[in-house]
Amino acid sequence: MQPISSPNDEAVIHGPSPRKSAAKHTWPTEGYTRAPYWVYTDPDIYAQEQTKIFRSKTWNYVGLEAEVPEVGSFKTTYIGEQSVILTRAEDYSLHVVVNRCAHRGNMLCRDAFGKVKKLYCVYHAWNYNLKGDLTHAAFSHGIRGEGGLPKDFQLSEHGLHKLRVASFCGLVFATFSDDVAPLEEWLGDVAQGIRRVLHKPLKVLGYDTQRIQANWKTYHENPRDSYHANILHTFYGTFGLSRQSQESGMTLDESGRHVYFYTKAGTEKKSEDFDNTSSTLRSVNDDIKLEDPSILKWRDEFGDGVSVQVLTTYPSFVLHQIANSLATRQLIPRGVGESDLVWTYFGFVDDDEVTTQARLVQGNLAGSAGMISVEDAAVCEMMQRAMADGQSGESFIEMGGKTLVSGGNTKLSERAIRNFWHNYRIDMDLP
Amino acid sequence: MTTTLDTHFRTVENLIYEWARHIDEDHVEAITDLMLEDGRYTVKSRFNHDRDLPMAVIDSHSAAQLRDRIKSMRVANIYEPHHYRHILSGIQILTEEAGVLHVRSNYLVIRTMALDGDMKIFSTGQCQDQIVLTPDGPKFKRRLFLYDSRIIETLLVIPI
Repeated sequence: MQPISSPNDEAVIHGPSPRKSAAKHTWPTEGYTRAPYWVYTDPDIYAQEQTKIFRSKTWNYVGLEAEVPEVGSFKTTYIGEQSVILTRAEDYSLHVVVNRCAHRGNMLCRDAFGKVKKLYCVYHAWNYNLKGDLTHAAFSHGIRGEGGLPKDFQLSEHGLHKLRVASFCGLVFATFSDDVAPLEEWLGDVAQGIRRVLHKPLKVLGYDTQRIQANWKTYHENPRDSYHANILHTFYGTFGLSRQSQESGMTLDESGRHVYFYTKAGTEKKSEDFDNTSSTLRSVNDDIKLEDPSILKWRDEFGDGVSVQVLTTYPSFVLHQIANSLATRQLIPRGVGESDLVWTYFGFVDDDEVTTQARLVQGNLAGSAGMISVEDAAVCEMMQRAMADGQSGESFIEMGGKTLVSGGNTKLSERAIRNFWHNYRIDMDLP
Repeated sequence: MTTTLDTHFRTVENLIYEWARHIDEDHVEAITDLMLEDGRYTVKSRFNHDRDLPMAVIDSHSAAQLRDRIKSMRVANIYEPHHYRHILSGIQILTEEAGVLHVRSNYLVIRTMALDGDMKIFSTGQCQDQIVLTPDGPKFKRRLFLYDSRIIETLLVIPI
């Protein structure tokens, strides 16, 4: 289009500006030490995450082997927003399929858990075996020579969408990707944090789901953030379960996607820095005394003195050991501003009744009513509200330094968060 | 039998209302006086209950443990200020066994956020209570709140 001459320059029409719509946002020039708030609020970014992260080269936690113990056991869950089914087949192998009939897309399983002989669609009676292969379609040959599926129809070409599945120490992960490295290799050095806790068969104790009105990444960053632990969570420091002065550390895998932190109780190191800083922190309050401190009693069951270990794998999984409370947390995005956090509490099959009771009592410390960590969901929501429409502002992530390695293995560092954004930008193609 | 249960109905109803009123009026500490010292207060999902899974989001095995939880709420925990309104219905005394009244009722808790005034159904479900009549008045020996949804909206810090 030719510019239209006009005495008023402002009214000149030069045609559409393609640059403006293509480059909607620009990442701050500082890189992974900043996270711009539009990344938490933009529906287009959210939609791309479903494809580029959850349905791409990531292993996503779907459950425990103990949740599908028998042939025909199934569990329905989500990877990103996609409903999927975890099954155990006749040969005891584990399978994960998209919870959607290959015919017209109806949902196959509507129960959270159950036991079946086959997967069955109620709409037109298409049947699948426990591995997701189509075995029968109702009236596929028609009736009296009329109707029916085309002569070239092959059952084998119309199975359910199957995912790659791997289990590690009783945890089951699945991926939509054929290319991502095998699970254990993908976990790298962080696998040892899983091996340390999950060293024998598990027994599920129950579930707790929190619905958080915030973008999934506000929560994903939270257990990668060891800086906040003893500041936000007053209960921890006050009752001696974890203080910054205790022996602690972190392990990050080589890619920077996965991380775990640990703290050893009863290993306070006297340091002037700590005394000076802690006197100004809200969390160190020696006036708080519990009437019944038995809730905090714990047993060093792994024999290494570690009282708290919080392990995160990219993009949606957490494993925690808080004293003797053990749980997985699965993060399920439900839209750009809403997430579910599913806590699965467990013990070991050979736990005696006293041990089980101790785990259950310590269940009071974590989760949606957890006295220690109830703050996390509140902070995610407050962050999301403060971001408003996300059109301005960015977070500042330089605790411990400005690079992917700076901060080392100290907990007073945001190294694991910088590594998250580094990987996120690669996966999302956000230069 | 029916007559005995009728006699206790007002007492039981009043105890259940008292619990809710103390919370709604922000005298949360006072609920611990309505239970026996060795009583138990539990908030558990129907989802876990139906599957015989023992985990409960709140399980206080004594009045002291519940007082500790309320103290933690007052001095330690961080959350957006909010308050509850309990709507109670369907109070029924099912049986009396060895001096313990077994009671069922329905509850609905509306949560109102202080900052922006957002209101939401926070929790609804059934109370399964065991109540004893003591010289100091009626007390809960056991309060079990079974919430119907498997999810909790954001967090549960004020007891229901």
